[in-house]
Amino acid sequence: MRRRIVITGMGAVTPLGFSVKDLYENQLAGKSGVDYIKNFDASTFPTKFAAELKGFELSAFVKDPSRWKHAGPNARFAAAAAQQALTDGGLVDNAKVDRTRLGVYLGCGEGIQDFNHMTALISAAYRPEKNAVEPSDFIRRGLTRFEPRHEYEQEMHTTPGHLADYFDLEGPNYNCLTACAASSQAIGEATELIRHGDADLMLSGGSHSMIHPFGVTGFNLLTALSTENENPKKASKPFDLNRGGFVLGEGAGMLILEELEHARKRGARIYAELTGYGSTCDAFRLTDSHPDGRGAIACMQAAIHDAGLAPEAIGYINAHGTSTQVNDRVETLAIRHVFGSNAKNIPVSSSKSMLGHLIAAAGAAELITAVMTIQRGVIPPTINYETPDPECDLDYVPNVAREKNVDHVLSNSFGFGGQNVSLVVSRFRG
Amino acid sequence: MSVANRRVVLTGIGVVTPIGLDAGSFWTALSQGQTGIKRIGGFDPSPLQTQIAAEIIGFDIKKYLLTREERKQIRVMSRTIQLAVAAANLAIADGKVEKDKLDRTRFGVEFGAGLIPSELDELGIASQTGTESNIHATDPKIWGEKSIGQIQPLWMLKYLPNMLACHVSILHDAQGPNNTITESDVASLLAVGEACRIIQRNQADFFLAGGGDSKLTPLSMVRQSLFGHMSRCNETPQKAVKPFDKRRDGTVFGEGGCVLVVEELEHAKKRGASIYAEVAGFGSAFDRGLTGKGLGRAIRAALAEAKISPADVDHVNTHGLGSVPLDAFEARGIHEVFGTSVPVWSITPNIGHLSAGSGTTDLAASLLAMKHGTLPPTLNYETPDPACPVQVLREARPIAKPYFVKIGYTEMGQCGAMVCRRWE
Repeated sequence: MRRRIVITGMGAVTPLGFSVKDLYENQLAGKSGVDYIKNFDASTFPTKFAAELKGFELSAFVKDPSRWKHAGPNARFAAAAAQQALTDGGLVDNAKVDRTRLGVYLGCGEGIQDFNHMTALISAAYRPEKNAVEPSDFIRRGLTRFEPRHEYEQEMHTTPGHLADYFDLEGPNYNCLTACAASSQAIGEATELIRHGDADLMLSGGSHSMIHPFGVTGFNLLTALSTENENPKKASKPFDLNRGGFVLGEGAGMLILEELEHARKRGARIYAELTGYGSTCDAFRLTDSHPDGRGAIACMQAAIHDAGLAPEAIGYINAHGTSTQVNDRVETLAIRHVFGSNAKNIPVSSSKSMLGHLIAAAGAAELITAVMTIQRGVIPPTINYETPDPECDLDYVPNVAREKNVDHVLSNSFGFGGQNVSLVVSRFRG
Repeated sequence: MSVANRRVVLTGIGVVTPIGLDAGSFWTALSQGQTGIKRIGGFDPSPLQTQIAAEIIGFDIKKYLLTREERKQIRVMSRTIQLAVAAANLAIADGKVEKDKLDRTRFGVEFGAGLIPSELDELGIASQTGTESNIHATDPKIWGEKSIGQIQPLWMLKYLPNMLACHVSILHDAQGPNNTITESDVASLLAVGEACRIIQRNQADFFLAGGGDSKLTPLSMVRQSLFGHMSRCNETPQKAVKPFDKRRDGTVFGEGGCVLVVEELEHAKKRGASIYAEVAGFGSAFDRGLTGKGLGRAIRAALAEAKISPADVDHVNTHGLGSVPLDAFEARGIHEVFGTSVPVWSITPNIGHLSAGSGTTDLAASLLAMKHGTLPPTLNYETPDPACPVQVLREARPIAKPYFVKIGYTEMGQCGAMVCRRWE
């Protein structure tokens, strides 16, 4: 018998609030976390809005905030969400749990580059006549101007490293970065580490902010972001005919994954069971999904198969639903293919209509939403849904939350490079 | 076949290193004790305290991408991506893989990757424009209005860490499981470990797994200088990296990467593949405070899965950076499990520190040593250090036992260990 994995703790800091409860209930209320960008002056950028954390202070969450003073946003958001999840799961300072069997698998993004120094130093060392930067000039300036800790914290292994160190988590320790699928992938592979016996518990999820000048520049250049600057709260409109790109968000979501018998023995509260995981690659293009959705189809099928379910068992799909033209069309197509004539009967909604797109952390925040949906029996809506698109013809739970008891939820995450990950969470039945 | 019985073997090696651009030349250079470390030639390194590195000279991605369609992608490939793409092609060739016969949906890609440094020239004009009103700080208003339009549209795609794996997936039509582990120096070792697990659990039969890295750019070298851990032996580049030696004073960076063909045993047999080794065990752990206990735990987990004891191990292939504190940490971890009875080996003096690319490149070195029956010495080891209680060989010796262990770690404490068994 394969080891069963249950979820025994959750934590979140997102644009909809700094707890799991806020994340979920504000979605049920159809609130948007999107507003004009305050992290930096974006007033002349093609996109001037995003879903930022408002008034986040790490000291509200951890006992020793000074330990984190050099850490970047990824690690700080992650610390707050991890503290919640570990507290929720009864794992803080719990010496009865073998800390060497408790690991970390995150999908965290790169840290934020030092935009000001970087561009100023490049500019100073730039030689227009050669259209090139003079390396030795850049190096000389960089050695005195760059701040070592800030540079170090950009490395992607620092966030899981800090968490392991601070919370005493000595099991396997990983970070993956598969673009927008990263934290879902982390949760899937963390589940597999426990199934294999490498650990009994894993802290898993993701943390990311790309709401900084280089991040917005990069996505604007790829024309991936909505530029509906007149009405930011309405800009993220997944599956709507007039959708025009995604809206950046930031934050972290963390879950405690635990082997069932281990959870039972210590009397842990069980939220749900993580039953299915699938990972595939489109192997098609760097930014475009395969037009037939072949990777997404295979991925959803793999996750449902892994859960030992038939597609009919899925009661709700938390979609990737980015609000880009291509994603929402192809995801719809893929869902229709996987679920056949039953597809129209399955509620499909996008948390990104309210949360924005948390990039690497998106999957974790959305899986937490899926778990809460099983717990509470209310499906969050897709807000800003006004004009149906003939090519997107599923039940997107438009604008208003809906009461429905669901036992199995499918959560999709798709990323640049053709990365596809699907997870299935199920109501726990002993 | 029951899932529990699925065995995983390594059937192809693709390496791109400062001392050899394929498995054959890499092995020849290793067995002859060559090193690729010398004064940096790619740019003027004179303001740096460490002015030496192991650069790959004469690498041209066009040698690996032959069609027009493939070459169109070069403009979105940073050097790190190019090295990985080349290594993947070499692995396919070395493994004599007929790609058309593979089941695409059972063909996965797992990579280890690090932070990919921005190429400065690409941001030159945009940065100059952004600082036109104040040379010390970019005005975000000017940046938003003018600079963004001066950067090429696909700019960001060159620097996303998952693009190594994504380019490789597209070039080889690999539609199976796909992941990129971004765990610094232990990344590609963990990537191979994860690929093995995925094959064992019957979600794929075939993987290209590996990693690549190049930190030999002005920006990365500035960053690494600020982090410390680098040798200052600029006058004696060939002798600069001295793993576990009392005189060691830091590491030296290299560039390169290695991709392995990782395959389910029956799948390999069916296509008549020649097998380098079986992956017999894998483990990972976090070493809090770098005591060596966590590294020891990862090694023990890998040995336990392989069902062998320390006495069965021919050698331990180490990260062996030449760093004062980190070599001592690594030695403590090895000593925890093996005492001083098993020789350790480091190829960092030969190829430099390959970061995310190091795990699989080191692994390839041991696979080749097992194949050729000889374990080369660790270069520059002269003065034992009581803080590094491990056995370091100064002379080559014949391979004596069927298993080797490859270990890796990060300076934060993330550790991995893999046990491989020579195939006979």
